[in-house]
Order: sequence, then structure tokens, then C-alpha cells
Amino acid sequence: MSAVETMTSRERVLAALRREPVDRTPLVNPTSVATVELMDLVDAPFPEANREPELMARLAMTGHTELGFDAVMPVFSIIQESSALGCKIQWEQKDNWPTVRMREPVYETVDDIRLPDGWIDHPDTQCVIQAIKILRRELGDEVAIIGKTMGPWSLAYHTFGVEPFLLLSLDDPKATAEVLRRLEQVTIDFGLAQIEAGVDALTLPDHATGDLVSGEYYKRYLQEMHAAFAEQLPVPLILHICGRTVDRMGYIAETGMAAFHFDSKNTPAESMAAVEGRISLVGNVNNPETLFAKGPEAVRAEVLANLEAGVQMIGPECAIPLQTPIESLRAISETVHAYHA
Amino acid sequence: MADITDVANAFLRSEIEEFVERPNESARLVDLYAGASPEMQAIAAALVEGEDDDVDRLTTEALAAGVPALEVMDNGLIAGMSLVGIKFRESFIFVPEVLACARAMKAGMAHIEPILSASGIEPLATVIMGTVKGDLHDIGKNLCIMMLRGAGFDVVDLGVDVSPDDFIDAVEEHDAGVLGMSALLTTTMPNMGKTIEAFIDADLRERVRIMVGGAPVTQEFADDMGADGYGKDAVACVELAKALAGAARGA
Repeated sequence: MSAVETMTSRERVLAALRREPVDRTPLVNPTSVATVELMDLVDAPFPEANREPELMARLAMTGHTELGFDAVMPVFSIIQESSALGCKIQWEQKDNWPTVRMREPVYETVDDIRLPDGWIDHPDTQCVIQAIKILRRELGDEVAIIGKTMGPWSLAYHTFGVEPFLLLSLDDPKATAEVLRRLEQVTIDFGLAQIEAGVDALTLPDHATGDLVSGEYYKRYLQEMHAAFAEQLPVPLILHICGRTVDRMGYIAETGMAAFHFDSKNTPAESMAAVEGRISLVGNVNNPETLFAKGPEAVRAEVLANLEAGVQMIGPECAIPLQTPIESLRAISETVHAYHA
Repeated sequence: MADITDVANAFLRSEIEEFVERPNESARLVDLYAGASPEMQAIAAALVEGEDDDVDRLTTEALAAGVPALEVMDNGLIAGMSLVGIKFRESFIFVPEVLACARAMKAGMAHIEPILSASGIEPLATVIMGTVKGDLHDIGKNLCIMMLRGAGFDVVDLGVDVSPDDFIDAVEEHDAGVLGMSALLTTTMPNMGKTIEAFIDADLRERVRIMVGGAPVTQEFADDMGADGYGKDAVACVELAKALAGAARGA
């Protein structure tokens, strides 16, 4: 335990999102820390925990009760609203993530985009809404609840397929902008529904990653739209983009979003330098090598690197492999507490 | 050794001068392009620009004029992709641009492949390729496959979401010496390790060389899993496959 804790977990997270002083660095998981071990512990396995509100809430709660995070995140996957839009989903089993079958796209052209009537009432979107209500009822004001609403770039991958959409972005920028404009309504509506259900903040994954597209692409297609989201969704927003992103962090920092969830391909120090205090950072413990394979000692080293660099919130870089050992995850919390002791 | 001024195509000259920073790579490309006819340079240039219609037309014209299919492939299409690979590796271009170049290469290969198949040229080796279980991403894998086929490999594409058992079955069925696994997600990367373990359990690990790749994969992760090699991109994948195929033959 840290020497003196004067804030609740929720107060701590919200203060860090506002870049205000905190009693210790908050532990935040903007994507998912669900694992098979945690599923077994509370009898809330995948795929059911992605489709049944009580199980979703129960598994999300373990992020706080078992791992010591200051926030819980019930939206483990990135497929809930895509399922509601009609994408085919491969739900998998307990040891694999549900995935959108992007080789079977639902849209081919911008004119195909028709949001299904009542998509927000689809069981897979409502599952999230109901889980958030359960979490708010059970956690009260003690723990921050983070929701998730997918950005239009990621939704375009799901609905058009990654390759067709990336080619469209090169061949027809005007049509691409129109695709994004039509899909942004999904981002806004699902975000507002989660806010009404009681979330404190929203993760907004929008995978314009440096592994796929340039920083200039982010500026051209998304920066303005992300700035508008920060105005339209009245809770702190945490943008999540995997991969190498330091070339676009300056643009991201100008959007007015509260935080950026960054990947371990970017060092904490260079990332802090890139955003120049204009946005909070959360991250960036490596998943496949450090958390999954190497274990607590390596985790401690990466957490300390983030703390020393002044990263405002500590957590894994992205949703973690489901077989990640629980002791690796607990090492994140233990290191942060020891640092502040 | 040729000089940059020996490259007749002005676009290729400017591309080399602007984007190829390593002297050895610059020299290799200059030699390659300077040694190619102006028609082949035009195909390479059209490919680098991602102009699939132009590549389609120029390839058709070259074959009709009697240029051997292998020459069109090596000195036109693959020569162009060599430059594309360097630009991608150095982050001068990104995946959308590479996809456009791949589309152009595909347009040319559509004319070349039937001729090469009919000619009965022996493939360098058979390579099994697939994206691991739980992962449905395939852009990187497909780029690798296109480049491997262009380099003379016989590639069996297992697609996405491939289980360890399916990888094993394919290696046995095709008597393949090289296996390539791809993963785009940090959440699915561990399935590469599981697949390698499955080969060990099946007592087949010594029979096949395993290479891995994908955006989040690193050399360190590949080493930890016990893979035989890691390729950062499609160009590296081809070089790796050549090395592993040689090792497999020598084993």
C-alpha cells in the first residue's frame, strides 16, 4: 500500500485524466485485462462474458478486486457495435478473443452504409450498457468505470475489411471521408449510451496505427473528427491506437481528448516529449514479451520506466493475451504502490 | 558497377536518389535497373507508382514483343517491388501504398504465372503460410506470399485462423521444408509458440524450418518461441525463406 492515499480510485483516475495532482499514479486499463485465470476465478468465461451483462460485469470487476487497478473496463473486445451493425463475429471459446470476420465485409461502397434500425438495442451493445449499470450500482463512487466506443476508422476496418478500406483511402479520399462521416454516428451514439449508463470515461480505439498508415493520414482523416468527439462526448476520452504512433502524438495531443493509450513500441520518454503535457498518457507495459512471457521482474522495470518518465496512468499497452499470468498483472500494481511508498 | 546516370528511367533515378539511403542498396538497385531494358524499367516504375492499369498494359506489351516471362518478372515486377520494400521499411510509404503496388504486381503476375506454370520450372521450395489461430488479419501474410511466389517459391496459403493441427497437416501433406506464421495482434502472438510446441509434440520440429512475422512480432519474441527466423517485412520474408530453404535442404 502507498504511504498516504487520500483519494478514492475514481477520484484519482479522473484527476489524472484532467492532468491534475494525484496522491499516487493511478492504475488504469483502458482496453482489457481479462484472462483465463480471472475467468475461472469468478466463473465468467469467454465468450459468454462478452454477451451476458452479469458475467461481463463480474469479470470486469476483477480488474479492481484481484489486480488492484483503479478503473474497471467491461468492454473486453472490440466487436460489440460491429456485431450490432451486422458484421459476422467469430465468438471463439474461453481461450481466444472474439473477432470480426473482416473477410466477409458488410459494406463495399459508401452508399452501402445503412445503420440497422435500433442497432443500439442489439443484445451485444445492450450487454455493455447493462454491465455498466451493474458496475455503477456495485462500485458506487469508489472505482472509475471506463467504457469503450469504437472510432470510425476501426469500424471501417470491420465493415469494409482492412485491405479494401486502406485501398479506398488511397484511391478515393473523398469517399473515405464520407465513410468516416457516416460511421462516426455509431461512435457518438454508443458513447452517449454508455455515458447515460454511468461510465466515467470512454476509451475510443481508432486504429490508425503507424504499422498501417502515416501520421499525415491521421491528421488528414481523423484529427478533426477526434477533436469533435471530445466536444460531443461529455466525459474524458482516452484514444487508443496500437503500434508505433510517436509521429502522430503531436496531432493527437491537439484534439482535446483527455488521454492517449500508447503502445510499448514508443518509449515513455519520447512519448512524453511528443505530447508536451497537452494530453495525459496511459500505458505502456508490453504484452506479449513482458506481461505474457517474461513475468514480474521485467514488468517492474517497465512500470518504473513509465513512472520515471512521468506517464500519468500506468497499465498494459493494449488488451492482454488471455493466458497472461495473474502475477505479472499484479506486479504492475505492486510496483506502483512501492514507488509511492 | 553501374552509375545512377546509367538508369534511363528518370522516375526510378529520382526514387533511388530520394528514398534509398543505404549505399549498398542504392548500388544494387542501380545495377539492377541499369541492366534492365527501358521497357522493364517502365514496368518497375509503374509498379512503384502503384499504377496497376499501366503494369497490366506494359506487361502484356512486353510479352507480346517476345520478352521472356522470367525477365519481365525479375527485371520489371520484382525489381519494382525491391524499391517498394525499401520505401516501406524506411517509413516513406505505408500499407495503403504497398497494397496499391501489390495490386499492380498482381496485374502483371496474372500474365506471367500461366507462362511460368506451363514452362515446368522447378520451385525453389514449398512454403506453408498462414495466420495463427484466433487471428483473422492477412494483409502482411498476403504480401509475403505474393513476394515468395514472385521469387520462385511454391506457396500453400492456409489463410487465417489456422490451428496448430492444420499447420502440421499441411507440412506433412505437401512435404514442405519451410513454414511461415503471421500474427497481427499481441493477443494472438502466443499461438505462434503453441504451434511450434505442437510440432515438437508431433516429433516434426526437425523436419521444418519455421519463420514468423507480423507487426507486433520481434526477433526477441521469435527467438524465445524457438522459431528459426523472423522477417520484419515481405522483402525480409523472401530472404529468410531462401536461407531457411537452403538450410532445410542441407539438413
